[in-house]
Amino acid sequence: MDPTFPVEDIAPIAILMDELRSEDVQLRLNAIHSIPTIALALGPDRARDELVPFLQDSVDDEDEVLLALAEELGRHFEDYIGGKEYAHILLGPLENLSAVEETLVRDKAAESITKVAAVLSQSQIEEYYIPLLKRLSHGEWFTSRTSSAALYPAVYAKVSSAVQDDLRKGFTALGADDTPMVRRAAAKWLGPLLTHFAQQHIVPDGLPIYRRLQSDDQDSVRLLTVEDLIVLAQRLTPAEVQEHLLKQIRHSIGDKSWRVRYMAATHFNELAEAVGVELVREELIGQYVQLLKDNEAEVRTAAAGQIPGFSKLLDKEVILARIVPCVRDLSQDSSQHVRAALANQISGLAPLLGKEPTIEHLLPLFLHLLKDDFPEVRLNIISKLETVNSVIGIELLSESLLPAIVELAEDKSWRVRQAIIEYIPLLANQLGKPFFDEQLGNLCMSWLGDTVYSIREAATVNLKKLTEVFGVDWAKVAIVPKVMGMGQHPNYLFRMTTVQAITTITPSLNLDIVRSEIIGPLLLLANDPIPNIRFNVAKSLEVLATTFNTSKEGHDFIEQQVVPVLEQQKNDQDADVRYFAARALHKIHPEL
Amino acid sequence: MPSDLDRQIEQLTRCEPISEEQVKRLCLKAREILIEEGNVQVVDSPVTICGDIHGQFFDLMELFKVGGFCPETNYLFMGDFVDRGFYSVETFLLLLALKVRYPERITLIRGNHESRQITQVYGFYDECQRKYGSSNVWRWCCEVFDYLALGAIVDGSVFCVHGGLSPNLQSIDEIRAIDRKQEVPHDGPMCDLLWSDPDDIAGWGLSPRGAGFLFGADITKQFAHYNAIDLIARAHQLAMEGYKLMFDRTIVTVWSAPNYCYRCGNVASILELDEHLSQEYKVFQHAPLDVQSIPAKRPPADYFLIDTSSKSDHLRPVLFATTTTSFALPGPVIRAYRVSQTTTPYRHPIIGRCPLVPPPHGLEGIIDL
Repeated sequence: MDPTFPVEDIAPIAILMDELRSEDVQLRLNAIHSIPTIALALGPDRARDELVPFLQDSVDDEDEVLLALAEELGRHFEDYIGGKEYAHILLGPLENLSAVEETLVRDKAAESITKVAAVLSQSQIEEYYIPLLKRLSHGEWFTSRTSSAALYPAVYAKVSSAVQDDLRKGFTALGADDTPMVRRAAAKWLGPLLTHFAQQHIVPDGLPIYRRLQSDDQDSVRLLTVEDLIVLAQRLTPAEVQEHLLKQIRHSIGDKSWRVRYMAATHFNELAEAVGVELVREELIGQYVQLLKDNEAEVRTAAAGQIPGFSKLLDKEVILARIVPCVRDLSQDSSQHVRAALANQISGLAPLLGKEPTIEHLLPLFLHLLKDDFPEVRLNIISKLETVNSVIGIELLSESLLPAIVELAEDKSWRVRQAIIEYIPLLANQLGKPFFDEQLGNLCMSWLGDTVYSIREAATVNLKKLTEVFGVDWAKVAIVPKVMGMGQHPNYLFRMTTVQAITTITPSLNLDIVRSEIIGPLLLLANDPIPNIRFNVAKSLEVLATTFNTSKEGHDFIEQQVVPVLEQQKNDQDADVRYFAARALHKIHPEL
Repeated sequence: MPSDLDRQIEQLTRCEPISEEQVKRLCLKAREILIEEGNVQVVDSPVTICGDIHGQFFDLMELFKVGGFCPETNYLFMGDFVDRGFYSVETFLLLLALKVRYPERITLIRGNHESRQITQVYGFYDECQRKYGSSNVWRWCCEVFDYLALGAIVDGSVFCVHGGLSPNLQSIDEIRAIDRKQEVPHDGPMCDLLWSDPDDIAGWGLSPRGAGFLFGADITKQFAHYNAIDLIARAHQLAMEGYKLMFDRTIVTVWSAPNYCYRCGNVASILELDEHLSQEYKVFQHAPLDVQSIPAKRPPADYFLIDTSSKSDHLRPVLFATTTTSFALPGPVIRAYRVSQTTTPYRHPIIGRCPLVPPPHGLEGIIDL
């Protein structure tokens, strides 16, 4: 404590107390967020002896304030109260917070407790943390018991084996609690806790907790055990899985509640990898097919998302015999979400099947999905075309591809149009120049006249990427004349698109083309009646100058053609034109 | 060499509020610019005219994606930037920052929500309190509101105003004589410009809002003829199709808040006037749900509940002391529903099924305020 400022000895805590008593929630909230500052002002000793006890008593407040307090205490607050050896003092207020009614506050408090636990020594843990854990685990209200479940995994590995025995018993009790909220918490934290268990405790202690939760009468508990199952399977040998978990796996996947089946479907690949190849082939394949045929669209959607990942674990013949028939059914599914999920994944099967089977079995499905009513389905197929292309080549698809692309390109939702534009360079790469010029060239130019600004912008970016794919000579013939042609349009939006397209494409072109085709019309637009066009010309000239200033030839070109126009624009009547012209000149001559 | 202001615009474009000190300086600078503008600001074509935004920040971003960003596109916003939506602070500050950075490229005129009284009831005041912890930002913004123009005229032939006409104003020149630098009065010509609505009546009528008037086709055509204008563009009323032309195309309502209050299911529009003043209405939908983030913890405030049985909600806000779940209130209340292009309802495995309720009928012009 600095003796020269005695007044400040009492001031910080008094101010905090005042503000914490304020009527205004916002003031109390601000006060809580400033407790690190206050602790710093008080010094570690008084922060420990006065501030922490004070905070411990102030749990009777709005949830929002309590949430902030729980959060602040977990942000290395021990640094303000004298370091790690005093960190356990923070457990006091956090224990109170982890017993309040509001879930958000309790979760945050539990999170902060585990953060504090990370800096505690073993003796601190056994002396302070473990008793806290026991108090919370035996709390009268479900709130504290719920919070306690989150606190086991953080310290299990750090304590002596005798205490570990206690912890396992404690957690077993939580898993058998009367309140579903507590059992849910136990199901949620069992997985993380199991990762710390010694091998000899997995089967005798871990397994019974899991089994009990897995057969809970509440589906909200059961659905959380899917992730526990994966951890358990990872810790056991395939033989042990077969012996101990087979029944549970069947129960989870065939659960009468769709939410549990949904969780199983979502995590199916993780589960399959954890149980080992043998069990996959004997047992899980049947279960998986069952999920793909589930009554609920959500389950089928989730299961469809796992198709290529799961099929990797199977032989080609099994895929053909078991998976492909389901895929065929899913491509006709009544729910568009299922079809969209399938369209996103189906191409992943092509490399697994090889050329001939893909042509025979998957190609008809690709073609069918390309005609789907729902744009997302078509887009998903197109987005994964590269994978298919590498297996069977694009020729077989191109006939159906074209109508699908044209239809998407004219979709009434601009986001669909934007999505297909973004795939065009990829498609161009695969379709080749002749096909592209003949079929898609005009489409790409028509986007420049779209009513939506973002589409016009995407269209210019697309032209730049196409230039990179097909080369500058192609661009000179196929793109540049059409873009420059719009520069004389009576509507300023078209002229604007010309200028913006030049800005975007120029860096991919060469000086010859700029000199012969572009600069003349562009400089004419520098005198356009619309100021927006004029300052975009200035922006365009800036890009042009920075792109070509590197060579002697380019430098001369800029000095002779670009600079005089910018000098003239610098005296424009419009402030924004003057600004962008000056900015461009500064880029060209930074020294001036 | 991006200036501080360019950086603030960039920050606000990400929907991150700027600091209190920055707001203070921005508002001072904005006042310097706005004080120079006329009550009826003269604007050159081409310009894109927009209606109510109401703090729907992500939908404003959607608007810019469709119409182009400022300064590439010139904009004229016809008021009601704040209230009701979740992001009034970011919305208004972004528009204001653009105004200060590009005064020639964007015009802001005053709506009836740009007022101290209304913002204290419909959300902007609370939002400032919540985001800055004091009412300073709200106070500074309200001072800026007093300087906003009351109308604008594009190339001498398109008159833009938030609400409509006033029986006390025959000519646009008479608007120029108003002393506008004050809180919106409860009656009189300035109030009428911000509150009135066109209606299928003859002459003038009493407004169910309790402020402003209703005016018919005859009044509208007379005003247009007398002032030699081709079109009156105004906002102020929800149009389910985004815009609504009336009276042989002499007046149009432009509405730019899609899925108003995050629940009305309407589309929005902007009116693009090109350099020859030809009109193109661009209709757009609300931002996709994964783009807009709705603050997690706080339930929507009570003022989102709108009682459709009472038409006169002027200064008599319908405030129910309730949580979001209790929709079972006496009298018809708009129900929440999802707008979706898909035909089958999506349900979240943890949250459960989300019902698809058909859009409420007969909402036009009732719940706009």
